[in-house]
Amino acid sequence: MFRFLSKVWTNFKEYIALVFLILLSLIILSQNKNPNVQKIRAIAFGSFATITSVISDLINVTDLKRENEELRETNSKLMLQISRFREFGIVNKELKELLEFKDTTGFPLIPASIVSRSLSMTQNTITLNAGKKDGVLSGMPVINDKGFIGIVNSVSEDFSIARTLNNVDLRLTVMDERSRINGILKWTGEEMIITNIPNTFDVEAGDRIITSTVSTIVPVPIPVGIVEEFRPGETGVFSYIRVKPFVDLTPVENLFILARVKSKQIDDLELNFYRRQ
Amino acid sequence: MKWELIIPFITFFAVLLIQLTVIPLIAIAGVIPDLILITLVYYSITRDQFYGTILGASYGFFIDLITGSLLGSAMLSKTIAGFTAGFFSTETKKEININTFIFSLIVFICALIDSIIFSFFSAFDLQTNIFQLLFEQALMPSLYTSVVSVLFLFSPFRRRKF
Repeated sequence: MFRFLSKVWTNFKEYIALVFLILLSLIILSQNKNPNVQKIRAIAFGSFATITSVISDLINVTDLKRENEELRETNSKLMLQISRFREFGIVNKELKELLEFKDTTGFPLIPASIVSRSLSMTQNTITLNAGKKDGVLSGMPVINDKGFIGIVNSVSEDFSIARTLNNVDLRLTVMDERSRINGILKWTGEEMIITNIPNTFDVEAGDRIITSTVSTIVPVPIPVGIVEEFRPGETGVFSYIRVKPFVDLTPVENLFILARVKSKQIDDLELNFYRRQ
Repeated sequence: MKWELIIPFITFFAVLLIQLTVIPLIAIAGVIPDLILITLVYYSITRDQFYGTILGASYGFFIDLITGSLLGSAMLSKTIAGFTAGFFSTETKKEININTFIFSLIVFICALIDSIIFSFFSAFDLQTNIFQLLFEQALMPSLYTSVVSVLFLFSPFRRRKF
């Protein structure tokens, strides 16, 4: 028996190893949501990101001057806009006081830089040099001055990983700013589309897309992109809407994490509601 | 003997460092070459198929752990890529396969298999055009990786007698 097994192993060990490792990979694939696996991942990428951040800093020095000039120009334009918004803010504050609305502005922003990027076009992720010690939590949105970039997925003490809009696992509730229609934005691997919007709804090419206020992940309106193409779907009642994001991630190095996670109270309320159903 | 087992992993972490920080700078339309795969193919051919399969699984596992992609997806694709590269590890043809442009062809085949399997887990959707998916996410990265592997042929670290 032992001789037989030994012979089988000698002749077929490559295939046995292949089958075993494939099965192991499939088992690991099924364990992605396991909290222990998430902890191990946070330790692993946190350790590696310490090294990649050093190299990234060296590479980014050459781009700093150009980025500085661009930022100065953006700052000047924003300064003019802020002046106008201050006026609107004063009027808005007075109206809110009259109607006794709760003030929901003033979210803290955590600055961060990208220290490394993922390999894949479909599971695009970025590693940021801000973690738990900076107040970053899983689920926080990542933005820059142009708009929405992604959502924080894993956090270690000093670093975090965010899924960007070019990640097939990220689904975002968005809204057409003009017509106030909500839909789900996703990356198919080739293009960014909005789903679940019927053909009859009012969406046009050129409409601005922002994050929806009904989203439990990002409940504040952040610019996402612009509708490039809208046409009725070839099958079914839903339309085909292609979106071009405002943020081109390729040159982005510095960004902000919006220190806001979904309300636990709303989350618990919705969970209890669906359980009773 | 133990040193021979450790060197591939030291090489892996050094190459991964370059892959995550420097390689994105030479991206063409979002497509980047996969230096990890070139390293894997090299070790699979110079050692044997069994070694290449296990090395592929190890490389893939660490990639998933460090880069945040779906844990197990790169492990699966790199395992099969390492196994495939091992088919070219024959005693009589090892030297030819490593020291000539056949190496780039082997890298292309393994990169194609790796990309197809990895993309399958990432972007498979019943509405996706399968041929467009294969072209953009499998063929283009594989071609780029294969072109970059040509540089490896001129590297002083490569040439060795078997």
